Amino acid sequence: MALATIKRASYFVALVVLAWLVWDTGADPVRLARGLPWIFDFVRRMMPPDPSVLPAALLGALKTVEIALLGTGVAAVLALPLGFLSARNVAPGAVFYPARAVLNFFRSVDTLVYALVFVAAVGLGPFPGVLAVVAYTTTSLAKLYGEAVEGVDPGPVDAITATGATRLQVLRFGVIPQVLPLFLSYVLYRLETNIRAATVLGFVGAGGIGFYLQTYLRMIDYRAASTVLLVTVAMVMVVDAISSRLRDRLV
Amino acid sequence: MIEVTGLRVVLPPSTVALHGVDLSIERGEFVVVLGRSGAGKTTFLRCLNRLVDPTAGTIKVAGRAVTGAGAPAVRGVRRQIGMVFQQFNLVRRASALDNVLAGRLGYVPPVPSLFGSFPRADRERARACLDQVGLGHLAARRADTLSGGEQQRVAIARALAQRPAVILADEPTASLDPALTSSIMDILKAINVEQGLTLVVSQHQLETALAYATRIVGFREGRIAFDGPPAALTPTVVRAIYGEGETP
Repeated sequence: MALATIKRASYFVALVVLAWLVWDTGADPVRLARGLPWIFDFVRRMMPPDPSVLPAALLGALKTVEIALLGTGVAAVLALPLGFLSARNVAPGAVFYPARAVLNFFRSVDTLVYALVFVAAVGLGPFPGVLAVVAYTTTSLAKLYGEAVEGVDPGPVDAITATGATRLQVLRFGVIPQVLPLFLSYVLYRLETNIRAATVLGFVGAGGIGFYLQTYLRMIDYRAASTVLLVTVAMVMVVDAISSRLRDRLV
Repeated sequence: MIEVTGLRVVLPPSTVALHGVDLSIERGEFVVVLGRSGAGKTTFLRCLNRLVDPTAGTIKVAGRAVTGAGAPAVRGVRRQIGMVFQQFNLVRRASALDNVLAGRLGYVPPVPSLFGSFPRADRERARACLDQVGLGHLAARRADTLSGGEQQRVAIARALAQRPAVILADEPTASLDPALTSSIMDILKAINVEQGLTLVVSQHQLETALAYATRIVGFREGRIAFDGPPAALTPTVVRAIYGEGETP
């Protein structure tokens, strides 16, 4: 009886919340339907793609891949100590709790926001893009690393401890062999998402293919913009394919 | 070789695993620890090398204090004590030889070891230990490609690589096919007889205990319920260890 009442009440609450969300965001299917012709018009004006900007788009794509590679690579290393410090079963409580708090704080800011900060600090170009990728990826990888370390099989750790090994030796021989494949897999996964993130970095002046996309859209050169979009899609698909193939091998 | 007095262990939150255990084991004994699961066998063994911190009591192994010692001293005692586990606890992705080499970690220079560099003498020692358990030909194989029995032999080789005075084995055959029990126990017995090492082995199989032990210690609910030679293990005593109406 009481359970049925709670159930009915929670349905009601969910409905009220949904109605409020729809109203407050101005979500309106009719407006979307009225806007559809404009989307079709936009797509029609993008056709056919302008092949003359292909070299520029490819260069931009290459730069985006470079930003993601360098940023992810540096972050993968920087995250190592942070990852171990934020693992409950390795770090003492006095280290673990502050480390977790700092990581959560910095991870709540997205790459794009970091890019705005770094563009202001070091100027336009790919370098602030790299810094933004490093800033976000370091903290997010550190959290994933930490969780991997917390999930290790305690058996081999006990066995290495029992030989009289030091704490560092226990980490090196008992923990790292277990987590290294996971770490690499997370790094590759982050690389995939960073390619996507780095695509929009150009919008705020942090280099790469996004810069070209934004420029052509501003110039109302939709045919050139569509070439850039297609190159972006191809770039993401190629990197995803390579990365997921590598990840499959790690397991 | 092993001196235990007043050993009491309370596991968090408030489970009393051992209620004041006193035990003295001489050099060269082959002690089998019997008892039902939860009787305190594993906790007892893990206290001897401080994988579990005792709540009260003192332990000395090979003349060195295990309880009350600081971290470097504890590591020094651990080197003297090889340990074999029910689940083998090998590093699955490492080769058999590298797993055995881990037994040298307490002896080799620590910083080079972190980069995977071990002195030649230690490598040779590890290889000799692998030969001793009959697995020299599988040195390069990854541990997780070995059978259960082979993995446990690698684990024994790792313990031997420590040049220990004592080997602790916690239910070393419980995860194995019963047919492999004697092969593992034979290796442990040979180490005991030929090298004079002191062995403390927990077992839940009574027949195995009787066949190999020079001395049997029965645990029941965190206390020693029997301590004596296998010949003194009468059906009455077995019932005292395992409880009424239960056959081990």
